[in-house]
Amino acid sequence: MNNNPLSPHIQIYNWHISSLVSISHRISGVINILSLSLICFWVWSLFLGNESYEVIFNFFNSFIGKFFVISFVWSYSFQILSEIRHWFWDLGYGFELKTSKITGVLVIVGSIIITAFLYSIRGILL
Amino acid sequence: MVQINLPKNSEVKKGYYYKDKTGSKNIRKVNIYRWDPATGENPRIDTYEVDMDNCPSKVLDLLNKIKNEIDPSIAYRRSCAHGVCGSCAMNMDGKNGLACTKPHSEIKGDINIYPLPHLRVLKDLIGDLSTLYKQYESVQPWLKTTKKIDDTEHLQSKDDRSKLDGLYECIMCACCSTSCPSYWWNGEKYLGPAVLLQAYRWIIDSRDEDRKERLKKVADELKLYRCHTIMNCTNACPKGLNPAKAIASIKKMLATS
Repeated sequence: MNNNPLSPHIQIYNWHISSLVSISHRISGVINILSLSLICFWVWSLFLGNESYEVIFNFFNSFIGKFFVISFVWSYSFQILSEIRHWFWDLGYGFELKTSKITGVLVIVGSIIITAFLYSIRGILL
Repeated sequence: MVQINLPKNSEVKKGYYYKDKTGSKNIRKVNIYRWDPATGENPRIDTYEVDMDNCPSKVLDLLNKIKNEIDPSIAYRRSCAHGVCGSCAMNMDGKNGLACTKPHSEIKGDINIYPLPHLRVLKDLIGDLSTLYKQYESVQPWLKTTKKIDDTEHLQSKDDRSKLDGLYECIMCACCSTSCPSYWWNGEKYLGPAVLLQAYRWIIDSRDEDRKERLKKVADELKLYRCHTIMNCTNACPKGLNPAKAIASIKKMLATS
């Protein structure tokens, strides 16, 4: 049986909203862990004095740094919204095809809106 | 284990091209996955030009037409042709379904037909489902009761009977299980949507006296909790059932019992 070929799977299978949100949930989870480590490192650098703090501060204000910050804000927004969707699923609601499609779109669109909102009011927060 | 790429012997090559001989103006290209165990060659995609003016409406009709009129060597399973037996489950246009109930008019562009995903191919569009059948056997899909009733049926209330709606209709075509990425990566251990829906069908049956044991048996990190609610199963089910919901119901029963 080992000589028999394996039929194509992920190469040919269509993406649905639900599968796209599912894999994004995982990816954003991994990004969140990495970003948390970076933020912890930043906090820790406070103890080493002003200079080391400024290295990371300047990085976050550079072009690439801003890209990182926006990505982190998005991945947290996405994770939180998607997790809320999972809570409802755990309670047994929202499994109908139409509902899951709508909530999936809401998670994607919502995460983008929240990201834009949080980033645009960052001046007020800091 | 997650393995995105196909093994070397499974890579799909370009195959033969069968040009239309009828002179029809209404032609569609049909790309079909082929593998012949006799040759030992890699799988290939054969392309057929089909005269759509003389072809009935479903994908299975299309396959029958190709087999009867163009290439008799092509192999696929089919039996009832009415969406009841589940034999002609395959991947059409990137989505699993029954060839006998899927209209080819719903497919835009070329019609791509593959076997059910991530199975050992026996020939052409026929995948090996023996692992799935073994898993089905493992949930003991039969009534377990100590009551000995010989002269009447095992009665249940209308309410209890309605709990089986959306479950008993399953025809075990394997469209859902073979659409599930979790089942692709952990198919040996994770039971998959089809078998879990069947497991739930017996767990929720009021006449069955083995509920506790059934729940205990299925409560396993790999057997059950590999379901991450990707929902490909519910999207694929040609009978409109909801395996994702059935699996969530098992999880909920375990969490609240």
